[in-house]
Amino acid sequence: MSLQRIAALVSNAQHPSSGTTRHCRNDSLAMTISLNLVESTTAQMQILHAGKPDDSALQDYLALGAKQIDVIEADTDIVENLATRLKNTDLILTGSRAESEYASGLLPYLLAEKLNIPLVANALEIKSLDNNLEILQFLPKGKRRLVSVKLPAVVVIHPLATVDLQYAFAKQMTGEIVALRAIQPTKISKIKAQTKTITRKPIKLKAHENKTGHERLMAAIESKSRGGTVVIEGNSVEKAQVILNYLREHRLVDF
Amino acid sequence: MNKDMRINPRRLLKTSPAGLKRIVLAAPSVVEMHENNKPIRTPKNPKNSLLAIAHSNKGILDDHGRQTIAAAAILADADTEVIALILGELNENLADTGADKVLVLADLNAEQFQPDVELTCITAQITSIQPTHIFMSDNFVDGDLGRRLIASQPQKTAATHVMEIDESHVATQSGARLSVQYALPEIVLLAKDAVDADLPFTGLAQPVEAKIAKVEANGQYNNLGMQTLAATEIALEEADFIVSAGNGVQQVTTFEILAHALQASIGASRVAVDEGKFARDKQVGATGKTVSASAYIAIGISGAVQHLQGIKDCRHVIAINRDSSAPIVKRADLSVIGDAEEIMQALITLINQAKNLQEAA
Ligand SMILES: Cc1cc2nc3c(=O)[nH]c(=O)nc-3n(C[C@H](O)[C@H](O)[C@H](O)COP(=O)(O)OP(=O)(O)OC[C@H]3O[C@@H](n4cnc5c(N)ncnc54)[C@H](O)[C@@H]3O)c2cc1C
Ligand SMILES: Nc1ncnc2c1ncn2[C@@H]1O[C@H](COP(=O)(O)O)[C@@H](O)[C@H]1O
Repeated sequence: MSLQRIAALVSNAQHPSSGTTRHCRNDSLAMTISLNLVESTTAQMQILHAGKPDDSALQDYLALGAKQIDVIEADTDIVENLATRLKNTDLILTGSRAESEYASGLLPYLLAEKLNIPLVANALEIKSLDNNLEILQFLPKGKRRLVSVKLPAVVVIHPLATVDLQYAFAKQMTGEIVALRAIQPTKISKIKAQTKTITRKPIKLKAHENKTGHERLMAAIESKSRGGTVVIEGNSVEKAQVILNYLREHRLVDF
Repeated sequence: MNKDMRINPRRLLKTSPAGLKRIVLAAPSVVEMHENNKPIRTPKNPKNSLLAIAHSNKGILDDHGRQTIAAAAILADADTEVIALILGELNENLADTGADKVLVLADLNAEQFQPDVELTCITAQITSIQPTHIFMSDNFVDGDLGRRLIASQPQKTAATHVMEIDESHVATQSGARLSVQYALPEIVLLAKDAVDADLPFTGLAQPVEAKIAKVEANGQYNNLGMQTLAATEIALEEADFIVSAGNGVQQVTTFEILAHALQASIGASRVAVDEGKFARDKQVGATGKTVSASAYIAIGISGAVQHLQGIKDCRHVIAINRDSSAPIVKRADLSVIGDAEEIMQALITLINQAKNLQEAA
């Protein structure tokens, strides 16, 4: 079975200062990658959103190249609803984290679990090969990893994926939005969370310290010296050797 | 009767290490001390446990992983022990993170790609430990594994990207304007810097043998190999090894040869950039880039606060400077006092010798 049906999942976001609804950049990256993939294969493309069809964020996705967006009119059980529509899809692309609702980045994982298919996160580039998908993964510290995964699969796109987002008003005018009915919600989400406007910075968790007045005074006037080694003696070759030994000891170099 | 608290007028004198007699307000009570003079928190007969799971990198835990264990240690009460489950090999002691027991699964290092095997292994550990809460770092590696764990255990409550945590609740952010609050869930994926890892106590960090059955991969995932970007291609913020030049570097060519020999990315202080020796995007510091390399070699850099701000997340700082009283010496883990040019030349020769030897072998 080769790649025949691709889906991209898009959600909405708010502008950080004005609060107007707009597209979520992470999701636009995933959508654009899937559109590029469709061009190079014969696969069919579906762009899905669970929410309201009149959401103005969807207009942004049209402008960014979506020809048609299917909107499932559901506000609870998004995972169930998406999973039902995505049963026969070979590749599902999502962004790494939404900017609305709980923004937990969990949706792709829950979806993969529900559909019982593998998931690869932190994807930068995707190549389709018969039954498999070759994915370049982002790892920190300048590392990349090439992995392959069996289809069908969920792939989560990393925010640093190099993709050109091209916004065109003409595309927005020609694209269309199709509303799909939600399946009957089976159960209400059990996550009990409250959302409210941010009023203060998060407070860091600190260990409670039972310090005496004297200890507090000393802590305030003493700066903690990190106690590094200082090498003054010796000629420059010996000093260079000290540096090399340090690097080797901490396995910072491999020679 | 008057129950006012009064200070004992005949407080005991304490003799300082220098032999001077001092009256110290409120003498500390006697508790069991660890080598570094911190009390040990580890409970004798623990009833519950908290589990912190983290991947190691080159045998050590990064700050984020330490913060995660510290979070568990801070939230643990007197009857609760903190178990650290480390994936990948571990060559350091985790006592100062507050871990009471340390389990190491050395085969599960982060460079391999085996999410299915990792999930099966940690699920097995969780079933045998039965922790009340599980803590993980929400970074590229552990965040992925953590989400797989959450998805596979729908009966457990969970929160991700946690930026604020205490005994009763956790909070995270949705978009730029909304805060999301949960009651403290069973699985917590912590964002970076949500916790102060500097603890006033230590744990015993007893190594525990992990019982593991051999787990077969399900064959859906395949690792086709790691790629390391050339040092010149890596953005400075992402680089793992940086050599940085300051006003004390006269010969930029020597410096560049050294960077090439070490396969390190190049950084610079503001003065070096202002002089036109380096491009503006190489500047490290308050008005430049904040870097988080494992190794940072500062050559001919005095270490002004604005520069130190940019390297606060670096693990190993090495300074080469002519002046042993320069502020960078206080920050550096190793300082070599001498002329930058001479030491750089010597270092290049040594590195080339070592590389030749390695090739010959
Ligand atoms: C608002 C503001 C923002 C700033 N932002 C930044 C910033 O983002 N990044 C930044 O780097 N700076 C910044 N600065 C500048 C900062 O305060 C320092 O001036 C600067 O970092 C000093 O650079 P330096 O250490 O290379 O030079 P110097 O202070 O001149 O130090 C040179 C060092 O090299 C040593 N040396 C000299 N010759 C040799 C030799 N032959 N061999 C060995 N050692 C030698 C000297 O002993 C000295 O310690 C900022 C300043 C301000 C006011
Ligand atoms: N309502 C939604 N409709 C379609 N896709 C969504 C929706 N919410 C989230 N997603 C997708 O799931 C990813 C992760 O979202 P989240 O788990 O909510 O942070 C997003 O980047 C989107 O690709």
